[in-house]
Amino acid sequence: MKKLLLAAALSLSAFAANAADWTPPGPIKLMIAFAAGGGADTQARLIAEELEARMGWQFIPEQVTGKGGLNLAAAIKDMPNDGSVIGMVVTESLGYNMRAADAGMTPEQFTPIVTTAGFQMAVVSLSSKGWNSFADVVEAAKGGADLRFGTMSPKLSDLAYLLGEANGVDFNIVQVRGGRAVMDGVNAGDMDLGFMAGIQAKGVAAGDLVNLASALSEPLQQTPDAPTMADLGVEFVADGYFMFIGPAGMPEDARAALSDAIAAVAEDESTKAGGIIKKAFGGASVIKGADLDALVASDYEAAGALLKAASE
Amino acid sequence: MHRTPRANLYLGLVCLVFAVAIAGLWVPFDTDSGLLETVRRRVSIGDALAPTIAAFFIGFGGLLLMVSDRNANDQPALSAVHLRFIVALVALLVVVFSVMRWTGPLAVALVGPEEPYRILRDTAPWKWLGFAAGGVLLVTGLIAAIERRMSLRAVLIGLGVVLALIAVFDLPFDDLLLPPNGDV
Amino acid sequence: MGVLDYIWLGVLAVFQGPEIGLLGLALPVTPVMILGGFLLGIMVGATPGLAGPMAMAISLPILISTFGFNPDALLPVFGFLIGVMKGATVGGAVPAVLFNTPGTPDAFMTTLDGYPMTQRGQAKKALRVAHFSSASGDTFSDLVLIICAPFLAVLVEAYLDLPEKTALLILSLAFIASVIGGSVGKGLIATGLGLLAAYVGTGEDFYPRLSLGTEALAQGFPITTAVLGVLILGEVFKGLDDLWTERLTNQRYEGAAAHGDQTLSRGDLKRIFPFIGRSALIGTAIGALPGVGSTLAATLGYTVGRARHAKTRTDDTPAFGDGAMEGVAATEAANSSVSGANLIPVLSLGIPGNAAAVFLILAAESIGGFNPGPSVFKFSTDSVNPELVIAFGIFTAMFIANALNWTIGGVFMRSMGIMIRIPKHILLPSVLLLTLTAIYVQETRLSAIWFAIGFGVLGYVMRRLGISPLPFVIAFILGSNLEETARQAFAATGGDPFFLFSSLTASALMLLTLIVIVFSLRPKKEPTLT
Repeated sequence: MKKLLLAAALSLSAFAANAADWTPPGPIKLMIAFAAGGGADTQARLIAEELEARMGWQFIPEQVTGKGGLNLAAAIKDMPNDGSVIGMVVTESLGYNMRAADAGMTPEQFTPIVTTAGFQMAVVSLSSKGWNSFADVVEAAKGGADLRFGTMSPKLSDLAYLLGEANGVDFNIVQVRGGRAVMDGVNAGDMDLGFMAGIQAKGVAAGDLVNLASALSEPLQQTPDAPTMADLGVEFVADGYFMFIGPAGMPEDARAALSDAIAAVAEDESTKAGGIIKKAFGGASVIKGADLDALVASDYEAAGALLKAASE
Repeated sequence: MHRTPRANLYLGLVCLVFAVAIAGLWVPFDTDSGLLETVRRRVSIGDALAPTIAAFFIGFGGLLLMVSDRNANDQPALSAVHLRFIVALVALLVVVFSVMRWTGPLAVALVGPEEPYRILRDTAPWKWLGFAAGGVLLVTGLIAAIERRMSLRAVLIGLGVVLALIAVFDLPFDDLLLPPNGDV
Repeated sequence: MGVLDYIWLGVLAVFQGPEIGLLGLALPVTPVMILGGFLLGIMVGATPGLAGPMAMAISLPILISTFGFNPDALLPVFGFLIGVMKGATVGGAVPAVLFNTPGTPDAFMTTLDGYPMTQRGQAKKALRVAHFSSASGDTFSDLVLIICAPFLAVLVEAYLDLPEKTALLILSLAFIASVIGGSVGKGLIATGLGLLAAYVGTGEDFYPRLSLGTEALAQGFPITTAVLGVLILGEVFKGLDDLWTERLTNQRYEGAAAHGDQTLSRGDLKRIFPFIGRSALIGTAIGALPGVGSTLAATLGYTVGRARHAKTRTDDTPAFGDGAMEGVAATEAANSSVSGANLIPVLSLGIPGNAAAVFLILAAESIGGFNPGPSVFKFSTDSVNPELVIAFGIFTAMFIANALNWTIGGVFMRSMGIMIRIPKHILLPSVLLLTLTAIYVQETRLSAIWFAIGFGVLGYVMRRLGISPLPFVIAFILGSNLEETARQAFAATGGDPFFLFSSLTASALMLLTLIVIVFSLRPKKEPTLT
């Protein structure tokens, strides 16, 4: 028993030393699944910039966009797994999207490294609509108004559908590309309400927009009184995170070194990257190691049930 | 004797056949959803609709060429000379980019350090080898082809252009990669 | 935040942006970039075989790498591109006047009177007329842009819902397909091919449609490969073919000795001013329509000018075609006044009208943070709309470019006669390598280079067959937008199959589409230039 503990302690310290010692074998290719210039792309590039300054590693960012992160997943899957290729996606990419695409990819083909920030996903409308909570929306819809519900991914469209179903109303679900497009659509009056993942923070603070409901398992940070999905009768949630991934089988030292370094930048609000994470998402949400493995696996599993519920 | 030009007729025919092939074969076999789909109990537009409309544009344009523009006065055509030129040019480009892709890895394997080329893809001078070899081949080759002779001047111009491009794209920027270094 | 505050912020954004050290002075970077772009534009405009779009295409990746992917990069990059656009318009007249060789396609009509003036020993004077007319037309057009674009955008945003926006896109595409290139059939083919290319790998399903199961096609064609391939590589391939087949390697260009007064007198200005005014109106009106290029504007300006001149001319002045300075003025004012007005549909609707506008959209897409379209002109009062500040920054940049044009443009332009001596058979291979390198640096995969070469071959074949490549490019850019808007409109109306006719405005736009197509299908007489 003693021997075993010693071995464990040794391997643990060896592991820690390894993570600290690890250096990338060459420049790191950083694939980004988001359009250039957007908030997510900026976050990825700023993290890379800060790591170059802190660690002396070299990053070469590259856009691999489309299909909710699945194009990036397909591209990174067969790349070298020595830590010299990583990519930034959202947890939804390896969860709902991979499940729904059913194209032969599974989360086991990837190494989840670390999450940086969690979405403050909310149902948002213009405050000039006069709605104060989701109940007002339901009332308006029952009163005969045809309401347009903007979403930015198939998963969110499913959730919008289930929200309607649970409350006995029928939304016209309008799916657009990217959270920015939902906000523009709501602002322009093309949509009545929509999902926004954090970009609404400024508008809500200014009083132009209002958070009607939280699409998360927890209340929103900005509007804690808004009902959650469970309060509204929907058993599924839109919890999601920005996540760095690599190809499957990445050595533990590389994975640990990368996740520690990225997490340190994301959590440090004095860095540019940490600053924008604080502003849009209220602070970093770091999940790594076995916790992250479990999260990715459970997301993939849960996606099956959501797909089934939304197709009934 | 005055011959009626046929270029528009042939072009129209090719476009029409192409359009039918897209709408009848490519689109149905290579998209997941049909023209219209029922999703979440609502009818919505499927992925096949837009490309089918594109095919309709091509086909309708072809039909117009065959019918109303068939006897137009001005009917430029692709001659055999043009075709030969473009085939030769593409062949040259294939050679150029193969040279560009493999010169670096080959040089590293033969005379370079232990690391594979992938690790050295952003390390001078290895990262420039492929680009320089392919680039000089392209510029010098084209100049020589047009001048119908090989000259030292053409080689020097090729080198000059390559050096200028390295100076513009590579030296000032840390995170840009010259071809082929993003693929290795 | 009122309108004036936004204008002021836009001006400040240009002058207070990041600074650049030059000759020991810290200068705001945007005006410096405008100057650089403007001078480069005159040089490429004056070089036959190069043109503004080519210079814009090549400098874009360098600019983006220099300034990065963030909103701070927008104004310096736009400033440079606008400088190139304006410079090239002025520069195109130089070889046209001096050597009877148009530097840019729309300077062709300038040769008709500019070169005869040179032969009479009036080269400097012809260049002065060209510069004065070009700068006047350009400035006028920019004024119209600044007044019209915000109003149009606000109207669109206030009155157009998703179905109407779909109908508007359909109308624009129909207009572009029918008007450019003379033949509706060929325009439709180019438009269809552009749409088809835009739909590869995209769509809402998780399976990337039309990708033939390959990973390379799954990401779709990057916009740079399609635009640069068809517009730039196609042109380079054609130029190389011409050189190779015709064995043209060295041509001698002779100037002519100068005779007489080369300055523009008050009387001269009085003579050309009516021609400039008419042509500026024509060019601006044409420029505001998407897809109708500066070449048509130049032709129309020249034709109208000639008709007018024939009526009013006295016997001691040369007729159009014999070296009339009114002819140079009419052409240059018309083709230069296209560029500003062409940004009206770009900024207010997101619809590009010519190659230069295509590159501005490309820059916005690549950098991010600025989406040309009606949402730009949202005059939000309690928080700053950063896109609107950028828009007014762009307007400011245009006026800085105009100021440069009026002050140093003429002198610089008149020194550019030398550019014609750059041999094309050295220029074109260099441009080819430069373009392919620029594409790679942005996309970092060899498949992008193969796509670009493929689009280059397509552009070459289209040019050989007399199909204008512009509808292809514009359809490619608008393709995804059209599909997405249509999908959203369909979903938003609850699956109404007749959503395109759901309102009076939408129906009117669709009716207009029908009229455009039917009208351009009618057999028409070829316009003659003799």
